[in-house]
Order: sequence, then C-alpha cells, then structure tokens
Amino acid sequence: MKKKAHHARWLSLSFRHGLLLLLSALWLLPVIWLLLCSFGIDKGPNIRSFFPEGYTLRHYQDLLGRQDSVSQFPRWFLNSLIIAVFNCVISSVFVLSTAYCMSCMRFPLRKPLMHIAIILNLFPGFLAMIAVYSVMKRLGLTDGNTGLIIIYSATSGLSYLVAKGFFDTIPRSLRESATIEGATEAIIFQKIILPLSRPIIVYTVISAFLAPWTDFIFANIMLPSKISAQKTVALGLYSMVSRVNINEYFARFCAGGVLVSIPISILFVIMQKFYVEGITGGAVKG
Amino acid sequence: MNTLGNRGFRKALVLPMSIGKGFRNIFISIARFFSSLFHQIAAGDLWVKSSLLLCGMGYFGRRQYGKGILATLLQLAALCLFPVFFLPYLRKFDTLGDVERQTIFNPETLKNEVNAFDDSFQILLFGVVGILFLFACLILYVKNISWVSALQKKAEEGKHINSLREDFSSLFHEKFHITLLSLPVICVVVFSVVPLLVMILAGFTNFDRFHFPPARLFTWVGLDNFHALFESSLTATFGYSFRKILLWTLIWAFLATFTNYYGGILLALFINHRQTRFKKFWRTAFVIPIAVPQFVSLLLVRNFFANTGIVNTLFSQWGVTDFFRNLGLISSGAAYIPFLTDPNWAKAMIILINMWVGIPYMMLLSTGVLMNIPGDLLESAQIDGANAFQRFRKITMPYIRFVTGPYLVSSLIGNINNFNIIYLLTNDIYVTSDQLLANSNAREVDLLVTWLYRLTQDFNNYKMASVLGMAIFLICAGFTLLTFSRMNQGNKEETFQ
Repeated sequence: MKKKAHHARWLSLSFRHGLLLLLSALWLLPVIWLLLCSFGIDKGPNIRSFFPEGYTLRHYQDLLGRQDSVSQFPRWFLNSLIIAVFNCVISSVFVLSTAYCMSCMRFPLRKPLMHIAIILNLFPGFLAMIAVYSVMKRLGLTDGNTGLIIIYSATSGLSYLVAKGFFDTIPRSLRESATIEGATEAIIFQKIILPLSRPIIVYTVISAFLAPWTDFIFANIMLPSKISAQKTVALGLYSMVSRVNINEYFARFCAGGVLVSIPISILFVIMQKFYVEGITGGAVKG
Repeated sequence: MNTLGNRGFRKALVLPMSIGKGFRNIFISIARFFSSLFHQIAAGDLWVKSSLLLCGMGYFGRRQYGKGILATLLQLAALCLFPVFFLPYLRKFDTLGDVERQTIFNPETLKNEVNAFDDSFQILLFGVVGILFLFACLILYVKNISWVSALQKKAEEGKHINSLREDFSSLFHEKFHITLLSLPVICVVVFSVVPLLVMILAGFTNFDRFHFPPARLFTWVGLDNFHALFESSLTATFGYSFRKILLWTLIWAFLATFTNYYGGILLALFINHRQTRFKKFWRTAFVIPIAVPQFVSLLLVRNFFANTGIVNTLFSQWGVTDFFRNLGLISSGAAYIPFLTDPNWAKAMIILINMWVGIPYMMLLSTGVLMNIPGDLLESAQIDGANAFQRFRKITMPYIRFVTGPYLVSSLIGNINNFNIIYLLTNDIYVTSDQLLANSNAREVDLLVTWLYRLTQDFNNYKMASVLGMAIFLICAGFTLLTFSRMNQGNKEETFQ
C-alpha cells in the first residue's frame, strides 16, 4: 500500500516536471534561435539546420563598427536613448502628478476629468496621432527626435490609473495628521506620498523609459522619410528584415536584437517586480 | 482583503454608467447656474457690473490689482486673437475652402507662382481650435462674474480678501491640483482631444487621396462614409470587408484574452504548486522570452515560421509536412506549410504566437495575486474537508477573478486594439487573394486597427479610417459599459484609505 502511494507520487512529480520542461523548451526555442543566428556564420536566415555550421562574432563587430545606408545601430541606439530619457522625465512627472490629484485631492472638475480620460482611452491611440502628424509636418517637427518625444510624453497623463490605484491604498489618516501639523498639499505630496510610493514610482519611471524602445507604430508614423540616421532602434531593426535587406542583414538584426534585449530585459524584470508589488502589496496599511 | 491596488481603475470605469442620469443633472445644474448668475449680476455693485465689460474691474475694486491686470490682459488678448486668427478659418468652415491650389505662370517675373489657395485641413483644424477657444472664453467670462461677485460678498461681510501672494501660495495648498494638472491637461487637450475631434469630423468629409490637401480641397459629405461602411457594390467593398474584419476582430479579442488569462493562471498554479521544485528557475524560463522586446521577438518568429524558414525545413525533414498534407490541412501541391500566408493557418498561428507572448505576463501577474490569497481561508477550507479542486474553484479562482477582473476587461480592449502582433507578423508577408477584400485595402488577418492603420499610412484614406476609428470606439465603449454594469460597484474608492 505504502509502496503504491510512493509510486503514484513519483509519477506525478515526474509528469509535472516533464511538462514544465517541455513547455519552457517551447517558450525558449525562439530565443535560443535568436542567439544562434546572431553568432552563426550565415548572413541571412539559416534555413538548412537549427544549429549553424560555424560560429563567429563578426555580426556584432559589423553592427557596431561598420555602418552603411541600412545599418546604423549606434546612431539608432543614441536616438532611442535621447527620446527615452526625455520621455522618462516628462511622463513620470505627468503620471504621478495626475494620479496624486485624482487620488488624494477633491475638486469640482475631478470626476469630469476622469470620465474624459476614460473616453479618450477608448479611441485607438494613433487615430489622434494621424492628425498630430499632419500638424507636425507643417511645423517641420517630423523626422527628428523632438517630434517623437512630444508624441510619447504629451498624452501620458491619461495613463494615471495604475499609480492612482496605488495612491488610493495609502491611509488617509497619514495625510490628515500632516494637514493638522500645518503641512501644505505640496509638502504632503513631496514628503509623505512620494517616499511611500517607491514601487509605483519605479514602475512608472521604467515603463516610461521602455516605451520608446519597444514602440514601433508611432515611430513609423512620425519618421516618414525613413532616413536611416533618424531612426529609432525598433524602426531600424525592422528595416533590416524587410524583403530587400533580409538576406544581407538578418544576422545583424539578431545581434541587434540581443544587444537591446539585455538592458531592456533587466529593466523589465525590475519593473515587473515592482508592478506586482505595487498593485498587490500596496503601501502602508492603516 | 486589502490587496486591491487597481480598484481605483475599476471604479473609474463604472462611472460612464451614470451617463443618462448625468445628462439630467447637467441640465438641472445649467439652469441653476444661470439663475444664480442673474442674481449675482442683479445684486452686484458697480464693480461687479462693470466686470461685464472689462473683466478685471471686479478685482480692482477689491484692491486685487495683480489679478485685475491679469484678467484684463487676458480679455484683451482673447478679443484681439479671435477675429485676427480664428475668424478667417471659421468663415470658411462651412465649405472647408473653395480656392483650389494652382500654379500660374506670371509673365512679369517669368516664374510659376502659387495662388492664394485654401488648405482644407488647416481650415478644419483651426476651425475646431477656434470653436474650442470661443467656448473656453465664454466659460471663463461667465465664471469670472461669479468669482467677482463672490469677492463682493466677502468684502461686504468683512472677510479677509487674499493678496496676490496668498493667492499664489494657495496654488501649493488647497489649489495644488491646478499646479499639478494644468500642464498634463493642456497637453492632453492639444495632442489628444483636438486631433481626435479633427479626425472624427474628417469622417464626415471626403478626405482621401483624391482630395488631399494642400494640393486638393476636401469638403463635407454628410453621412456618405457611414453608408459606405455598411454597403457593398462591385467596386466599393467596404461593407463586405467591414463585416469580415469585425467578426475576426471579435473572435481574436475573445480568444486572445481568454487563452492568455486562463493559460497564465494555470501556469502560475502549476509552478506555485507545493510539489514543484525549482520554482524560481521555471518562472525565469518563461519570463526570458517576454523580456525580449516584442518587435524583435515577433519579427524573429515570423522568419522562424516563414515559408522557406527553419521550421518548414525541419518539418519536411521529420515528415510533419507530409503528415499534414495527408490530413488535408495543406493543399496537395504545397511543398511547405503556409504558416503565415494562408488565411486559416495565419489566424491560428497568430493566436498561438499571442499565447507565447501573453501567457508569461499573466503568469507573473497571477503569481503575485496567488501569494496574497489569505492562507487561513485555504486552511480552514481544507480542515472542513474541501479537496484541492473544490478549493481552487471556490476560493482561489473567485479571488483571482475579483482582483484581476478590471485587468481582464482592459486586456480585452487592449486586444481589440492589439496592433503589434498582427502588423509585425503579417505586414509585407501576407497578401490576400480575396479580390473583394483587396478592393477596400483589407486582408483576412487584419483587425479593425491594422486596417485603419494601413488605410491611413499606405492609402491616405482618412475618411474611412475615421469612420473605422469611431466603430472601434463604440465597440470598446460597449464592452466597458456591459462588463461594469454587471459588477454593480458602489463608491468603494475610499474604503481602504
């Protein structure tokens, strides 16, 4: 009897771990292929076998060192970095201040503004972008970093809900006692709410920083002339796998993919940790 | 149960429900507002009455010189700006311009010269801005009267009247929201509200590549584009395409949302089960693929599954291709599996690849939620004799559903608008063989959003894009209202503060 139970337990354990192994292999397969292609000797996509016939670092050297009309990876990286830093600062300020007002303050226009934000969020994002593009083209702001910074950060106030949800969990008694002590709203925001909101601040900052790296649509709209030096990483790497370029640049695309993935994935993991902490853990519980 | 970080989110979405009641309240409050306005004017002293002419007067009368100067300057600026800047556009707003651009040879300068033409887009844009400007000015003008009469009341009752310095410092206390919100709100108005209004109005014009400013004019056409969206003829097939694509969009949104939702929860439960060893290792293995940016992973996967790609090579070596051919899943003449080029295969692949992208996200999220389930609940259920499945069905699942409910709705809407997956996987690769779809620039695998995008970016068909955008809005709004009216939420925003 005892032996039978032990047997069943062993069976379920091995089934469980076997299934997990199979699933994680499925999930990791494309990523492994990305690494293999970036180190393999083929310039185009390797279609003969899963593992390349030889390994080389040449694609990474080409990507960083040799630049031509298609491949200008260092330049793209710089463009994305500039846009990301500006967006990070502006968006974080917008999101956190909007969230604070909507969560902690009471004023007549609060509810109407929240309704309008909901309605605006229901429209597909780039419908407005098309009109903005037409205006910016007339103003000469397309095909450059400025236009993209404006596009990413200007309407970021609309995505305040996650941060507001977090601020909602901070006990009101904290703010009330500070008010009795004579603190103004500005001081409460700076000295009480912000220090307690580390998870959500980290989440907001990192997601604002990551947005320009991963966005493809807005960059595609705002950089219509497709001059290589003006592209962001996403747009540049996309051009490497177009029908014309793929046989020459696919390995370099993979190398570029690996290079941007490393910093992004580190930030992403940190962000996810704080996101879960932020939406499930809350701050100080009263 | 204090782990409801996104309940603000839930609450915010409930509100549109009260729209019907809201309208009645709006009318009542407008009526109240005007009756009190007339009372204020009638009871106002000379300073208040003269504010009707010159907005700053009411402040000068109470020695608020700074505010008085500011109000007067603003009024003068508005009075100058409107006729000079906006009126010329508003005059042409009814036709959106009637002078077409022409290049005429000027015999005096011996050069081709462009006439003073009308730019329909500019007229539409500045017309909208002008109307909004007019509204804002009127509201400020009327509000100013009630502010001034409030000042009068304060003065009569002998109450303290703020100096400019005190007014300024109130911007960091009871009026701190004005300081914080001004810039974000202005930016949203300029970069979201105004462009959206312009694009919505474009749906009532014939703004397309044959009427593309500045070279050509476009003009109002009423509801023609809305008719076009539901009607089909031999050449104009928007009705046909719209039905097909709407159906696929809805199927996609439901499948994508629910496969990811339940897949993610199951995976999280599986990994967090007490029998599973190396939990951290498994979690990391699933997180690595989503840490690669989507544009990289999707573009890679599309080459992975290309017609002459690695998967097809391996599958034909292993005999999988022959197996599928025998099953009749691919045509007998095909040498490869058309993963992303056949309509049915592509749709199935898109949903599978979306699971690959989305399940780890949901796994992460529900792992966090699972850890927060009160342990005593599960324990007492176990003591009462509930088995593992009952505990899952009666405690774990309701808890997860409660916490992630708002997330489910927002990801349904996110999937209706899920641009990246479809566009990055199929753009340049997928070509439709359905002539009726091709006539309206659509493809079987397109969602409403990707169709909209291609209509604007590749075909300059703004009028139909605008109509599609409104359709998407209505669908999303419908889902939001439907789901949240069932949740019957009270005002719980402050329960946990």
